[in-house]
Amino acid sequence: MADVTLVIDGKTVTVPAGTNIVDAARAANIDIPVFCYHPKMNPVGMCRMCLVEVWTPMIDRATNQPILNEDGTPKMGLMMNKLQPGCTTPVSPGMEVRTKTDKVQGTQRGILEFLLTSHPLDCPVCDKGGECPLQNLTMGWGPTTSRFDYEDKVHNVKPIQLGDLIYLDRERCILCSRCVRFEDEIAGDPVLGFDNRGRKWEIISQSDPVFDSKFSGNTTDICPVGALTSADFRFKARVWELRSIPSIDPHGCEGANITVDMRHNDVKRIMPRENDYVNEIWIADKTRFAHRFASSSERLTTPLIRRGDKLEPCSWEEAIRTVSEKFVEIKNAKGSDALAGLAGDHLANEDLYVFQKFMREVLGSNNIDQRVGSPADLPLNTSGYRLGVGQGTNLITLGKESSVFVIGADPEEEAPVYLLRLRGIKRRGGNLIVANGRSTKLDDAATTRLRYSYGDEVSLVQALSAVLVQENLAHEAANQRFKNIANLRQSLGSINIAQAAEKLGIAEETLRETARMLASSQNLIVMYGHEAQQVGAALESALENLVILTGAYGRANNGLLPLLPHNNTRGAIDMGIRPDAGPGYRTLASAGSSASEMWTAAQLGRIRGMYIAGLDPVGKFPASRAGIEALEFLVVQELFLTETAKLADVVLPAAAFIEREGTFTNAERRVQRFRQARLPLGESREDWRIIKDIALAVLEQTTITLPAVSKSAQQQGRGKNAQVSTAVAVAESPSAAWNYITVSDIAAEVAERVPGYSAASYSKLSATGSNGNWGRQVNEPVYYDGTSYENTEGVGVQLASLVEDPKSTIAVEVPKVSPQKSGDGLTLVGAVANYNGGTLMRDSLLLKRLMAPTLFVSNEDAKRLNLQKGDQVEVASVTSSVVLSVNIDPTLKPGTVVAYSNLAAAPMGNLLTAPRTSVRVTKVEA
Amino acid sequence: MLGELFKGLRTTLKYMFTKPVTVQYPEVKRPVRERFRGRHELKRFGNGMERCIGCALCAAACPADAILVIPAENDPEKPNSPGERYAATYEINMLRCIFCGYCEDACPTNAIVLEHQYELSFYDRQSSIYTKEMLLVPKEKGYGEIPPVLQQLNRRPSPPAQIDL
Repeated sequence: MADVTLVIDGKTVTVPAGTNIVDAARAANIDIPVFCYHPKMNPVGMCRMCLVEVWTPMIDRATNQPILNEDGTPKMGLMMNKLQPGCTTPVSPGMEVRTKTDKVQGTQRGILEFLLTSHPLDCPVCDKGGECPLQNLTMGWGPTTSRFDYEDKVHNVKPIQLGDLIYLDRERCILCSRCVRFEDEIAGDPVLGFDNRGRKWEIISQSDPVFDSKFSGNTTDICPVGALTSADFRFKARVWELRSIPSIDPHGCEGANITVDMRHNDVKRIMPRENDYVNEIWIADKTRFAHRFASSSERLTTPLIRRGDKLEPCSWEEAIRTVSEKFVEIKNAKGSDALAGLAGDHLANEDLYVFQKFMREVLGSNNIDQRVGSPADLPLNTSGYRLGVGQGTNLITLGKESSVFVIGADPEEEAPVYLLRLRGIKRRGGNLIVANGRSTKLDDAATTRLRYSYGDEVSLVQALSAVLVQENLAHEAANQRFKNIANLRQSLGSINIAQAAEKLGIAEETLRETARMLASSQNLIVMYGHEAQQVGAALESALENLVILTGAYGRANNGLLPLLPHNNTRGAIDMGIRPDAGPGYRTLASAGSSASEMWTAAQLGRIRGMYIAGLDPVGKFPASRAGIEALEFLVVQELFLTETAKLADVVLPAAAFIEREGTFTNAERRVQRFRQARLPLGESREDWRIIKDIALAVLEQTTITLPAVSKSAQQQGRGKNAQVSTAVAVAESPSAAWNYITVSDIAAEVAERVPGYSAASYSKLSATGSNGNWGRQVNEPVYYDGTSYENTEGVGVQLASLVEDPKSTIAVEVPKVSPQKSGDGLTLVGAVANYNGGTLMRDSLLLKRLMAPTLFVSNEDAKRLNLQKGDQVEVASVTSSVVLSVNIDPTLKPGTVVAYSNLAAAPMGNLLTAPRTSVRVTKVEA
Repeated sequence: MLGELFKGLRTTLKYMFTKPVTVQYPEVKRPVRERFRGRHELKRFGNGMERCIGCALCAAACPADAILVIPAENDPEKPNSPGERYAATYEINMLRCIFCGYCEDACPTNAIVLEHQYELSFYDRQSSIYTKEMLLVPKEKGYGEIPPVLQQLNRRPSPPAQIDL
């Protein structure tokens, strides 16, 4: 858009056309006070705080020419002959804005005095006090006294609970509607609204349960007064007493940037930290409220060792000695392959790197995995690395000409921040194509909705690709980089689209138009979630092919974006926590056992000792108990005494994410650093430090023989320079490879050894943290919200995908469409619930909001099985059964039932025999 | 020479019959001035409720960082103070305190007052920390007076202090 030049308080400013006066003034460093305006939302002009004098050149109506003064300058007129709100008035050429005149200042004083007539001024007890825009603006622009009597103010019952998480104090509310607009425009949960009129005007919640939104905490941040406050932070501390430590969300794969606000050694609250690449200024309620697990009284504080039947506290020395002796004993007696390790994808990259280094280099075993070994485990995602979104991807920049194709995903439950980001793309004019087997929250925002039956995902993507090929829309440029692409084109060319569309139950024209939309978009991101990953390799290659055929790879804002199960799943895969590849996807000479193979091997006595860090296989997949019980020796490194830990011989207490430093890699391969906010609880230690201590103890006990080459190298060195020789000797003694003092020593090694991660060394991560170079003015949100979102830790570094390396070649697979299983049984699709009641939600306020164990049944199946909403049914597979309450989902196609598979209240670990299990549903008579 | 000796003895003799300026502390204690700043007290309202609402403005104002306030929410059935908030923990480190009285100035409810007690000595550092129980006056006495400055105002003070009027 063309730029517009205008004058504000005598300063000449040039801003893009369409900018409003408030933002234009901000660009010129002139403050216009606002309450209701927020740069993330549409202006409404409700609070009248931004009234300014706007002078425009007068136009002669007859000639349409500017009227000139005698001296030839254009004659200016006051717009509408009165003050104009700066937030709703766009700039125009030649405009002159005056913000400091007596008239404007008098109005500002008047507006503030008016707002304060019904504000209780109970700042001393208000949680917003200290970061409150009303306080700030009253100090800056307000009157010094009020002529209004306290008794005449509006008096209401003090706080009312707007849901379990948010308190509303109606006396303090200035009715700016920021919260209402946030929920409507950004979150898409129209749960808040206004009620009554005049002095009784108030905010109410229209939903049941009240304030039913996964983003409700954000309204407390943008509230310009203390009307909405967080139940979690209620009267915990004054904001000026808090120490803000930059950190990263430990829950979701989006890697939301947060600050942990500490007082003394206590976490008081979690606040968002601005990062336009990741979470803008929003975080999900789970991120904000589910932090109390770290301070739980049930945390492990000392190492435990099994004496007889009981686990008893012991010293670290004893624990480490026992662990290392047993590992060495098993290794010497049965060989390296008798040892195995599991590490959870909640751990930081540094922990995961040293974990696999310990297993591979010290114990010599490739039996490493990050899954629990259940048949329902998702395959380890590689597409997100091979053809993942390009470096510099920033969803906030997408709008017109951009498309996002979301398949088999429920972002609200899997990675809530993505819901806001996708809605933003739609709001800015982008296409949002949502393909799913059932309706999700994202459907409301979709421009195109494709409803398939579960099992038809591959056919759908194949059909779309076939349209691209048959209508000659496919991208031709980089064919030579993709092996086997000719075969793919040939097989796609042979698909009859009309037939395929009929089989899918989607109109042919819709399919064709969707494919054309994908092909014509400048940017295309393909997002796929949990339910898509259940399909397995066939769908992943189908999606890879779609991306290749549309040319949406190898550049920013294009490529695949898988929603991964946990905060650092990407990092765990990158670090080589998998049996078949080392760090950086390096192929191994011989693959080890995967988790599911470990349980069989343990029962057969082939695996004797295991090291499990940050994972609870017994809790998630109870069938693994037999394998674990068959082990000779089990070490568990955990925060809590989980089901697995209860079976362990040694339990090592680990430090929580707030108690240590490290990096997480998010779903877009952005590596972000989190900092230590407090000391580890009790005697708990950082995961990497525990692994290092065990590694050193093991190395001490194993006899070391230096390889012949290095010996000669030493001798040569000694001849020339004594110092060099010692350096060489130190570098080559095996324990020197474990000489980590701080976590940054490991990070340096990761940067050196793991391909790709050289871009994400700590110095490079911190280099992004200067000068607010993430594209926004420093402290801009503070100006609008009073609350600090300031990002001092940088935006992180996004790693390159494989396809971005121009030398890489990628083999294209023609996906095989597996034939639909026919039969009278139903297929159970396991979905993911955000509020699942897992370990990390312990003690949080969200426990009141847990997802109820529900089975979603289609209309047809409900009729056939004679089920009503609320009925109890027994869902049985060949292995086990579980009782759930029925809910009817009219968008489901018959033959499929959906249930949340990760709920702590209804564990399905035993029930699932595959990612999609065939089950029998029978009604339980009350 | 001798004259000077008598001159001195005369002065001595003169003071033998005047009232002595020294007092026999600790048997005798001199009264302190009205605005003397001694040991703090946490006052109560007439109905026995604590004046302190746990706002921590005293701690923010304290130049010696001597005050620790940890607030909490009142039980609506049995409130400690009027309103929603009270101080669950209130501690003053008397070794750190410089008796400047800024806390008193900052207090929106006139809860903290520097009173006239000045005998503050301790055998160890730990006992220099005065807890809320030590600072809070007994229920039946020690209702904070409306400070003169409030009475002089020709307008209403901030809401928490209006309870007095």
